[in-house]
Amino acid sequence: MLAVLGSAGMLAGLVGAALLVRRGIAAARSDRPANLEGAVRVLVAGAVVAMGAMVLALLTDDFSLVYTANHHAIATPFPFDVATAWAALEGSIVLWGLVLTGYTWLVFHLHRRSPDRLGAAALAVMGGVAIFFFGLMITVANPFEVCVQAADIGCLESSPWPFAAVEAPANGPGPNPLLQNHFMMAVHPPILYLGYVGMTVPFAYAIGALSLGVPGPEWLRRSHRATLVAWSFLTLGIVLGAWWAYEVLSWGGYWAWDPVENASLMPWLVATAFLHSGIVQQRRGMLQAWNFILVISTFSLTILGTFLTRSGTINSVHSFTQSAIGPALLGFLVLTLVGSFVLFSTRSDLMATSPRLESLVSREGTFLVNNLLLSVYAFIVLIGTTYPLILEAFTGTQVGVGEPFFNRLAVPVSFLLLLVIGFGPVTPWRTTEKGLIWRRTRTSAVAALGAGLLIAILVSRNGWVVLAVTLGTFVIATLLGLLWEQARKRSMRTGDSHSRSLQRVVTGDGAFWGGQLSHAGVVLVAIGIAFAGNLGEHAETDLSPGETTTFQGYTVTYESPFRKTTPGKTIVGARLTVTRGDDVVGIVEPSWNYFGAQSVVGTPDVLHRPGGDLYFTLRDLPDEQGAIPIAFDTSPMIWVLWLGGLVAVTGGVVAMAARRRERRPAVEAQTVDV
Amino acid sequence: MGQRQFVLFGIAGVIALVVAITVAGLNDNLTYYLYPNEAVAQRAEFPDGERFRLAGQVVAGSLTEEGGEDLSFEVTDGSATIPVVLLNTPPLLFNEEVPVLLEGYWSRDLFTAESALIRHDENYEIPSQGNYEDG
Repeated sequence: MLAVLGSAGMLAGLVGAALLVRRGIAAARSDRPANLEGAVRVLVAGAVVAMGAMVLALLTDDFSLVYTANHHAIATPFPFDVATAWAALEGSIVLWGLVLTGYTWLVFHLHRRSPDRLGAAALAVMGGVAIFFFGLMITVANPFEVCVQAADIGCLESSPWPFAAVEAPANGPGPNPLLQNHFMMAVHPPILYLGYVGMTVPFAYAIGALSLGVPGPEWLRRSHRATLVAWSFLTLGIVLGAWWAYEVLSWGGYWAWDPVENASLMPWLVATAFLHSGIVQQRRGMLQAWNFILVISTFSLTILGTFLTRSGTINSVHSFTQSAIGPALLGFLVLTLVGSFVLFSTRSDLMATSPRLESLVSREGTFLVNNLLLSVYAFIVLIGTTYPLILEAFTGTQVGVGEPFFNRLAVPVSFLLLLVIGFGPVTPWRTTEKGLIWRRTRTSAVAALGAGLLIAILVSRNGWVVLAVTLGTFVIATLLGLLWEQARKRSMRTGDSHSRSLQRVVTGDGAFWGGQLSHAGVVLVAIGIAFAGNLGEHAETDLSPGETTTFQGYTVTYESPFRKTTPGKTIVGARLTVTRGDDVVGIVEPSWNYFGAQSVVGTPDVLHRPGGDLYFTLRDLPDEQGAIPIAFDTSPMIWVLWLGGLVAVTGGVVAMAARRRERRPAVEAQTVDV
Repeated sequence: MGQRQFVLFGIAGVIALVVAITVAGLNDNLTYYLYPNEAVAQRAEFPDGERFRLAGQVVAGSLTEEGGEDLSFEVTDGSATIPVVLLNTPPLLFNEEVPVLLEGYWSRDLFTAESALIRHDENYEIPSQGNYEDG
């Protein structure tokens, strides 16, 4: 029953997408008002029905669907049963489709009152992308295949025909244990997808503008705003992913330059470059062609990322051919790249010639350097991620690119970026009067050197830590100095109080100050990474019940092994009491979690402390006498990293809200030239 | 040369430099994945101390705990077998006939593994031994 419903949903989505392409193109070609509402409605309804059918199947333990049979178990508790809807390949494509149609609906409604050709063209492009993803669902990644031959647990044979004679198993193996070990797995993928799939919107505007031959400012404004939305979600998604890895995976880290992580970082880097270069075009009319390249690259990198993470190619190129999803995604990637850049090259005569760069020492100069650095960064990650695949595809040799490669190249680029973040905001547009930058940065430079010296004397002489604190202090002090200078000037001019002026300065240019808040977030992330990555301590020992050991000033007493059974899992672990002096700091229970008889996952326990986390990992199960091998780690100041991520996201939201306020009247005025 | 050209040349130069550094960095940081037969065949290319990853299955009956903490065992892919010493704690569920991925280096005829991962897919029993406290 749900198979029929879900299949109908997918088909409706496909039909709606095809209709949207047809009517969108027609509307973009004519001056008559577009009538796209019907197509958008069918598309959205199809995606909602498809996802709804999946969730319903999981909630009602409907094992007649292969997807439920192979990725769900009766014992899987809420919210993991719902989250299973996007935990495996087929479901993740449905989520992709749902998010894409959500954005399509949003784009449609934003321009509903003033229907225009650029909007219609963009909707046609989004319809085209939707055709691909709904096509993928119906053909090679069908989540509504029914089980025609059941195994004891799970499904042996399936049929794509929803009316086929069903033989449903009594139970399934449940989702991947790693994914049901933490609530974050229910939250992280949708947020990441809101960012990832959101990059389709700026791409759609870019292709729409190129197709219509209107590479003017309008597409850029809309793409820029859409990128800001997607960027904020993507940033949040990446930070939550890192946090999940830290809390759940027993290795004490949060980032391993894993292909799955890199897949989310690459579009983030290029989108960040576009957020900056887009401002240059809005203010100075420069970098018009470059902005098209960045937007097209961002979208292409999201497709590349989906290919890397969803085709099984990461494990080995040989698994590429096991499913048709890999070739399909690769084909779509090639089509996107070739199609976009052919279109781009045929429109290159329309690109306005840029005004000259008057001086490198100008805001646009710093943006140019920033774009160069971010592109280099993305290139490094791209090469490191894809090189093993390319090498194996051509020579059959299997290699891995180690973390040192990424760290050695990405760390210097990151510090250069921090330096540019410090100077950019205080550098005026066009040209700079002599001595201005020095006047605006000298105080913060002194403060930065002071902070660096203080850290070196009091905390650590580690070069990276000192450098991160020095540069970070420089950036934040410079920003505060700039804010203060503007508020003071305004107070002198208007006679308002300082606090009122401060408030007015910030709300007067919310987009700028939102961006600066994100910069401050990036600085905090850098400081958190420097501390946690360089000053962490590690120790391993064997403990018998009742034994005590010391680690970094803490006394750890091993109380006893324990065993708990909860719905869906059995936990075998060790209970330890952590004390400092006479105070009990906490009780920790690092463990091994068994999910049915299928799988076991090590789960660390983390004691969050203001100076840094204490991280406990069981290296093995307790033996007959209850003795355990246990590892202790510290992650100094790691909360600064998480805080920085949230501050960066908040900056994006502030900038978004400010743009929304200032854009309203402007839209009417500027849609005329489209 | 105008400023525009100057900037363009500057950018091109930086890009060339970056590509060169990236490719050089890549070759220093590659870890090869080898099966025992490949590791034996390419012994000359991986001198003692040169790191690579060895994938295979732990040979039944080969697992011995030497006097110290280190584990000794053999790893095979069916056509070649290599003796291994594992320096660190083995992962949970490490046992004979388990497929493993080892990272380490040749030491004469021996593979010294610094870390071991299990590449698994099989079923696990919840341990019943030991005096666990329930709840």
